[in-house]
Amino acid sequence: MSLAIPNGLDNTVERPGERAPLVLGNTNYHDITESVCQVAERKPSAGWVGGFLVAFALLQMLGLLIVYLIYTGVGVWGNRAPIFWGWPIVNFVFWVGIGHAGTLISAILYLFRQEWRTSINRAAEAMTIFAVACAGTFPGIHVGRAWLAFWLAPYPSLNLWMWPQFRSPLLWDVFAVSTYGTVSLLFWYMGMVPDLATFRDRSKNKYRRMIYGLLCLGWSGSSRHWMRYEKAYAILAALAAPLVLSVHTIVSFDFAVSQVPGWHTTIFPPYFVAGAIFSGFAMVLTLMIPARSMLNLEKLITIRHLENMCKIILATGSLVGLAYGTEFFIAWYGQVPAEQFAFINRAFGPYWWAYWTMVSCNVISPQLFWFKKCRTTPWIIVVVCIFVNIGMWFERFVITITSLSRDYLPSAWAYFSPTWVDWGMLIGSFGLFFTLFLLFCRTLPVINMAEVKSSLAKQHHMAHAAAEHGEAEH
Amino acid sequence: MSDTNSEKIVHGMMAEFTTVDTLLSACRRIRDAGYTKTDAYTPFPVHGIDKALGIKPTILPWICFFAGLTGTCIALTMEIWMNGVDYKYIISGKPFISLPAFIPVAFELTILLASFGAFFGMWALNGLPRFSNPMFTDPRFDRATDDRFFLYIDAKDERYDAAGVRSLLTDTGSDYVSEVLEDNTPKEIPRPIFVIWGVAVAASVIPLLCVLLMRVTNSSQPRFHIFMDMDFSPAKDAQQVTSLFADNRAMRPDVPGTVARGQLIGSLDVMTGIDVDSLQAMNAPQAQRLVAAFMQDDQAAIADEVTDVAKAEDDKETPSVMDTTPWVTENPMTVDSELMARGQQQFGIYCSVCHGMDGKGNGLVNQRAQEKGFDTWVPPSNMHQDTLYSDKYPDGKLFSTISNGIRKMPGYAGQIKVEDRWAIVAYVRALQKSQNATMDLIPEGRKEEVKSAVDAAQKELQRQADEAAKAAAAREQK
Repeated sequence: MSLAIPNGLDNTVERPGERAPLVLGNTNYHDITESVCQVAERKPSAGWVGGFLVAFALLQMLGLLIVYLIYTGVGVWGNRAPIFWGWPIVNFVFWVGIGHAGTLISAILYLFRQEWRTSINRAAEAMTIFAVACAGTFPGIHVGRAWLAFWLAPYPSLNLWMWPQFRSPLLWDVFAVSTYGTVSLLFWYMGMVPDLATFRDRSKNKYRRMIYGLLCLGWSGSSRHWMRYEKAYAILAALAAPLVLSVHTIVSFDFAVSQVPGWHTTIFPPYFVAGAIFSGFAMVLTLMIPARSMLNLEKLITIRHLENMCKIILATGSLVGLAYGTEFFIAWYGQVPAEQFAFINRAFGPYWWAYWTMVSCNVISPQLFWFKKCRTTPWIIVVVCIFVNIGMWFERFVITITSLSRDYLPSAWAYFSPTWVDWGMLIGSFGLFFTLFLLFCRTLPVINMAEVKSSLAKQHHMAHAAAEHGEAEH
Repeated sequence: MSDTNSEKIVHGMMAEFTTVDTLLSACRRIRDAGYTKTDAYTPFPVHGIDKALGIKPTILPWICFFAGLTGTCIALTMEIWMNGVDYKYIISGKPFISLPAFIPVAFELTILLASFGAFFGMWALNGLPRFSNPMFTDPRFDRATDDRFFLYIDAKDERYDAAGVRSLLTDTGSDYVSEVLEDNTPKEIPRPIFVIWGVAVAASVIPLLCVLLMRVTNSSQPRFHIFMDMDFSPAKDAQQVTSLFADNRAMRPDVPGTVARGQLIGSLDVMTGIDVDSLQAMNAPQAQRLVAAFMQDDQAAIADEVTDVAKAEDDKETPSVMDTTPWVTENPMTVDSELMARGQQQFGIYCSVCHGMDGKGNGLVNQRAQEKGFDTWVPPSNMHQDTLYSDKYPDGKLFSTISNGIRKMPGYAGQIKVEDRWAIVAYVRALQKSQNATMDLIPEGRKEEVKSAVDAAQKELQRQADEAAKAAAAREQK
């Protein structure tokens, strides 16, 4: 084995007629329980406390900035005519996109029977919820009078005497993002119930036992319950799969249904969905690689898991690159001068630096994953994934800002400059995300123990079959 | 059940297994033995166990389907009612009931309600949440969520008999078989829970009490405005200070290069009193500067103009710009009785205080200044001197003087509108004419009328003079 990784942790080699193991070492069911529960049961490490304090401080900053914004008005942002969709919308699309990987892993890979999803889906789903929380913040405060955001809902109001306008993509977005947030939360919580029961049964402390007991709804592990539970899980997966595709499609409609040059294209829905999965997987890897070594989960989140995700990043990154090229082709082929100008302006106009940052991060950097060495070396993966995250933020920046800053009316053209509040809110939203994620690591099961045990059972079953054929385990 | 002395009720019998395979074979054996009220408890879903235990499929997919269908119907009804019937609103030329645009929301609500159906339906069918379960009384059962597998036969099963079930379960290879007993020991809820609950309830009542208190209290204060929502306009009065503009003035000057509505009166000639075309021919730079000063609000040009005029005033040798400028010689307004009346009124307001109602330069301010003997006082001009008649002092020059001032007199451009300044010019001309008028100027038809009016006036003046003389004589006698 040329790529020998210590402790026999290399499961990336393909052996004909054999499934690669997804749980490594001489692990049994109890070891899985132990290794997942110890994350939440042991005392927090200095690294966790430090990270939490930093993230929590940033979250406080976000909160104060929101208060400042609401107290003062949206003029504290850099949004000026004609760029009324500045950073808040860029951040919104960025975070919604990040969320998509979680649902993709938990729903679509489930439907495709990709067993390797089991050890990463919980954290990825948690990431989805937290990313949607970050995303939801921005349009909520972008409406200007945030305390009237409930006007978006179709409720009979004696003050307004009117109903929402259901032919607008912005209203579709309200329904899509809130449905997505709700269904993701249900899916995540339902998936967690059996593991919360494990937490309950391991609790030594009376209050801990009571809290987890309430959270797991009295789960007993009954086979009759499991049967309905698995059915519900499969149904939710089947519902979440088209849902996740619809959400970023509708987010892209916010742009594509308008007539702004550079936005009004039919390629937006698939292009946005590919970009969302791309950025989401990059974020999952950025979080999981440090987490798996800090939380001692290398036997459960193996190099093979990382490699599979890298392959998805390579595929979606290339899809996104293809979409960039197609946009230019259609602009030329469509022969609409405003469209042609919009795209030339994107690449060579005042925002050329953002465009080429985006292309190098999103299209060029994932190409490293053609090499197995890069797909299986954690630090390289982290570096590439951070580049992808930066690139995907810039993609939303390029789409939103360049098109708005150069619309049909040249006398209105302007150059966008963010204010310190814009910067603070972008950084603060990471504070919100990491605060929630770090709390999640300490209080909830970070890995779906029940599913990993289930796939371990299958692995044992297959190992038996292989042993009968005289093949040795490595 | 037979042991009536025992306080504990027997719920059933459970057996512990360490592997999936032993559990499955035990399941098959008790199924084949005819037991139906059975269950297995496992840390993860064991495939094939529903067959091994004879568990029937669930109706959950149907619940989910109808919940989803309800979502679709709710969404479409809502959209059609709201946008197509109750609140019609034309947007992008789409029909009121535009089905394609209604699909996204219908889709999302279908998914949402179907998910609710799957989620809540599953818990309902499972009878969860259920926090008290006799299975949990056995501490070994804690491992059912870790690495052990349990098989359970309920005491309600018609074939249940404690000894037979125990031997059957032991026979399947289980090393731990135990009766599941009702736990009758009273469970005390920990006291801090009550404290937290009590505090939470008390805290939740506070807002309600505040609202109720507000409802029954009269207050002379206006209600709180947390969010101003443009309920009050922060409009400023003309002379107030504001932080909105760099110069802190609430009243805004005209934007350079613009003329406010209603302020553009005819041409530049009308606005300045200068014949701009002639000036252009004579002195192009000055004409351009004039245009810049007036039309572009060019501060530098205005400053140049002011110093130029000042220099010309001081410098008596060279002819003044006032003399060299080609002035407009004819009043550009239509001179009629209306204009005259306006001119008279405006003259009365602005000019007469110094120049006097008759224009002789002896208004009230002048009288007072003479009385006081102010040595800096420059007496106002008498308008009835021949240098101010229209042949030497054209209308345009008079207009310019009113607008920009002369010597100690300030400019009145800021106070008097352009038309009114021209009206004053017309009135001043009439006033001048009135002092030297002859009967020849009166139209033939009205001569008699004027003559009699003049006679009457002269008689009246004579009478007043006589009375004044009498009164003076009477005073002297006293």
